[in-house]
Amino acid sequence: TAMTSQVKPGDRLPQVTLFDGAPNKPVRIDELCAGKSVVIVGVPGAFTPTCHSSHLPGFVADFDKLKAKGVDLVICVAVNDPFVMAAWAGALGSGDKVLMLADSRAEFAKALGMDIDLTAVLGSVRCRRFSMHVVDNVVKSVNAEEDSSKVDASSSCRLLTKI
Amino acid sequence: SSMMHRLGFCAGQLGSLRLRLAGQLLPARAMSLKVGDKLPAMELVEGPEMKKVNLQELFAGQRSILFGVPGAFTPTCSRVHLPSYVRDYDKLKAKGISQVFCLAVNDPFVMQAWSDANGAEGKVRMLSDTQAIFVEAAGLSLDLSHLLGGLRAKRFVMVIEDGVVKQLDVEPDPTKATCTLADEVLQSL
Repeated sequence: TAMTSQVKPGDRLPQVTLFDGAPNKPVRIDELCAGKSVVIVGVPGAFTPTCHSSHLPGFVADFDKLKAKGVDLVICVAVNDPFVMAAWAGALGSGDKVLMLADSRAEFAKALGMDIDLTAVLGSVRCRRFSMHVVDNVVKSVNAEEDSSKVDASSSCRLLTKI
Repeated sequence: SSMMHRLGFCAGQLGSLRLRLAGQLLPARAMSLKVGDKLPAMELVEGPEMKKVNLQELFAGQRSILFGVPGAFTPTCSRVHLPSYVRDYDKLKAKGISQVFCLAVNDPFVMQAWSDANGAEGKVRMLSDTQAIFVEAAGLSLDLSHLLGGLRAKRFVMVIEDGVVKQLDVEPDPTKATCTLADEVLQSL
């Protein structure tokens, strides 16, 4: 179980650094999200079956619907290094729709209480599957999957009903 | 450790020794694989079906190459290192190499995607040392926590004959691929 209790509506985003495409391209998540309506999607692993074929494609496909609801930015975070995240973005064709950020040391996942130990299968602590709507760094809704191998509560269509 | 020094061992000599001292079995702290050693009987994972493979079984009775990379999709590994083995695969086979493996501390899904992106299918097989157990035991691990988030493999290449290491080259600068490239290994075969 996570050391930190899980993030909930009303919480502020933690001041954590993620990486955009390379280890020398740091991004502070709270600075990126300041003043914006943002959707953040957490996934256990780049290129893993559910993340790749079900979860992320939903957000890429629903990008225009999310924008129509006032969302400025859709971000996907996973505990993978920045080169793997960049390659995954390329493979998904997420382009300028979903910003893929690397939570290389699981700092963001842990700060949100969304960390899950997948050492046996994937080699490290990873991020639980969730979707979240944040406005000006304040969390509005959190949809965590109980079973991270499934996409149900954390899907893009479910999130659209909550924005 | 200081106990090892008092006993007259230096790190490089430990190999796969276990010290027996006053009935206590102490694991050697600084193990490193070297030419002449047999590969350990460790289990790694090959492919997204999570197939477990035993290193001793995998390399028994064959003349093989095993090369290690710091990270799937990282610049040098992707631009230069893996492509050199894909490109020179037939030349390696002509020199008696029956199988070529690439090892990294990356999960099998990432390794498969990287293999697909580089056309390695049917040529270079991907081994996931997901928890870095092999690289740590072999003295081939590199702490890249600050860059990539954890322990990774050094850049290395081994020629293995019937499970025994015949050649081992480790790139002095892991961001470069020189002595560990396929054409360098070809010249020594």
